[in-house]
Amino acid sequence: MRISKAGLLVVLALLAPLLVELRTVLSWVNVELTVLETAVVGAALVVVILVWAFLPENGDGKTAEGDASSEN
Amino acid sequence: MSNAYIDDFPAEAKLVRTAFYSSFLALALGGVFGIIQTLHRTGYYRFIDSADYYTVLTAHGVFLVISFTIFFLVGVFTWAITTSLDRGVEDLRFTWGWYGLMAIGITLSGVAILAGFTDATDISASVLFTFYAPLQAHPMFYLGLVLFVVGTWLAGADWFRSWWAWKQENPDARIPLPTFMVLTTMLMWYIATLGVAAAILLFLLPWSLGLVDSVNPLLTRTLFWFFGHPVVYFWLMPAYMMWYIMLPKVSGGKLFSDPLARVVFVLFLILSVPTGIHHQYLDPGIAEGFKFIAMTNTMFLLLPSLLTAFTVVASMEHGARQRGGEGYFGWLTALPWRDPVFTGMALAGLMFAAAGFSGMINAGMNINYLVHNTFWVVGHFHLTVGTAVALTFMAVTYWFLPQITGRALWSRSVALGQVVLWFVGMTFMSNAMHRGGLLGVPRRTAEPQYDGFEFEAAVGSMGELQAQIALGGILLTLSLVLFFANVFGTALNGRSDELPANEYAGTLSGPEDAPLVLDNLKLWTAIAVVLVIFAYTFPLLSIVDRGGLFGPDINPLPVSLETVHLLAFVLESHATGALESIAWLGVSR
Repeated sequence: MRISKAGLLVVLALLAPLLVELRTVLSWVNVELTVLETAVVGAALVVVILVWAFLPENGDGKTAEGDASSEN
Repeated sequence: MSNAYIDDFPAEAKLVRTAFYSSFLALALGGVFGIIQTLHRTGYYRFIDSADYYTVLTAHGVFLVISFTIFFLVGVFTWAITTSLDRGVEDLRFTWGWYGLMAIGITLSGVAILAGFTDATDISASVLFTFYAPLQAHPMFYLGLVLFVVGTWLAGADWFRSWWAWKQENPDARIPLPTFMVLTTMLMWYIATLGVAAAILLFLLPWSLGLVDSVNPLLTRTLFWFFGHPVVYFWLMPAYMMWYIMLPKVSGGKLFSDPLARVVFVLFLILSVPTGIHHQYLDPGIAEGFKFIAMTNTMFLLLPSLLTAFTVVASMEHGARQRGGEGYFGWLTALPWRDPVFTGMALAGLMFAAAGFSGMINAGMNINYLVHNTFWVVGHFHLTVGTAVALTFMAVTYWFLPQITGRALWSRSVALGQVVLWFVGMTFMSNAMHRGGLLGVPRRTAEPQYDGFEFEAAVGSMGELQAQIALGGILLTLSLVLFFANVFGTALNGRSDELPANEYAGTLSGPEDAPLVLDNLKLWTAIAVVLVIFAYTFPLLSIVDRGGLFGPDINPLPVSLETVHLLAFVLESHATGALESIAWLGVSR
């Protein structure tokens, strides 16, 4: 994994405000998404993040360093 | 044997534990009323009468922003004083005395509010958290608030007493940072609560008891906001304290600057009170000039918040680099995201940044007119007290619980899920509240829709905003369930001997770098009082001059709708005549 599980959870949580506001921002350029379309975009982003997170770093399958889960 | 707080200060730990549990009881009650009103207002599930909505709203407000926050902070402050001065309280009976007074007070106020749900008694207090006249509560509500506030005053006296005793033994030592934060916060609180004490004791309680016939609503409102804005800082300053002395520690580093932290708390002491009139921009009885002064003072309050953002983020970065973090942003990945204490506080701080931006809109005198008394304001304070404060308090609870119970935390994973769920839930709810406010959706009403009028959303629809609020409310309620599961689970755990030591963050730049004048509490208090006199003397004199101490003479107009129609007809006739005259003059020229 490229990121700790806890870090991944926080990244996914941060996606919530970004998605909610993305809809407003896109409307400025006359792209108006329905709730369903926003949910589909959100799901796609979640998949992209998950694929990125679970791909082995440098192809060697090592877990991310700096993960604090083993500390404290 | 560990070096937890309960090992060093067992008697004080019991007091802190009791204060926290009182706080959590209020949080549970407030949370239940929160989800009831969310589902009622959005129309998803209604099982109460809309007339009872205001009782629910009062209970939600008072239990959360008075009981939950203040019981928690007196626990934190007792811990901070005893830990940083390394001495127990001077007289444990006195300490339990102020706690008892607070508990009796909030029980009286709470019973008065909850009695509003039944017709079996004429006791009620559905006056909302702001208890504006002419809304009148049962005397028990006001009496309870008085006892509660007096309890906090005595708590402050207790902490000052500890400091004075310590000072006798350490005459040349600097005030330890946590103690400095407690003392400056309490000095601010003493000044701020003079307003609400005057409003209740001189006007609202005698009025409620029937001793006086009327009150001057603008005067009592102004006295309320004299207290009502700084009470926000009474909630926030303990959260700031946690960000300064706990967040750097759990990040793995040290506080960036002790002097800067002292400057921030001095600025809060000075600037928190002379700002309340910014809540009254739309009150017609206060001159614009006074409102402008309040706006200026409010904008200055951004300074300590920006200083805090810098200091806290710098401290977190220091911690992350100690843990091996590298790069401009790469250090973020080295932070202890697995730790709910850290993650909760970090997310709370992030939400507070958003709250700061919406707060600037509230504070701007002209742009405030756009959002005044709309749902925007509700969205704003759910980010401040509802997240920056509440989420920080819940997050640090996961550190405090083992310290004050001697038992290991039940589940760190559940705790992490809880703080993240709160962040997501509040994102949905407060975002929709802000956006609803921009459309003009009013606050403080069970029925936000009007016949023959539809709010038009710029993006999406009103229905989607309502759904977002309901979704947010449900996620927040689930988050509370997880929180209480952890509190109960921890309380039922066995005693542990392997608890972390009772410590707070060290500093990179310590008190020795802070000018001595920063510890001159008399000087800062005097400046704070002078600023309050500047900001409030003339507005208060003007309000009393125009409306009298106990309100103007009773004016029977308008006494009925017929009178209003007659008045409108007379005004219309005069206006039409005047316009015709002007038009005629124009033609004749």
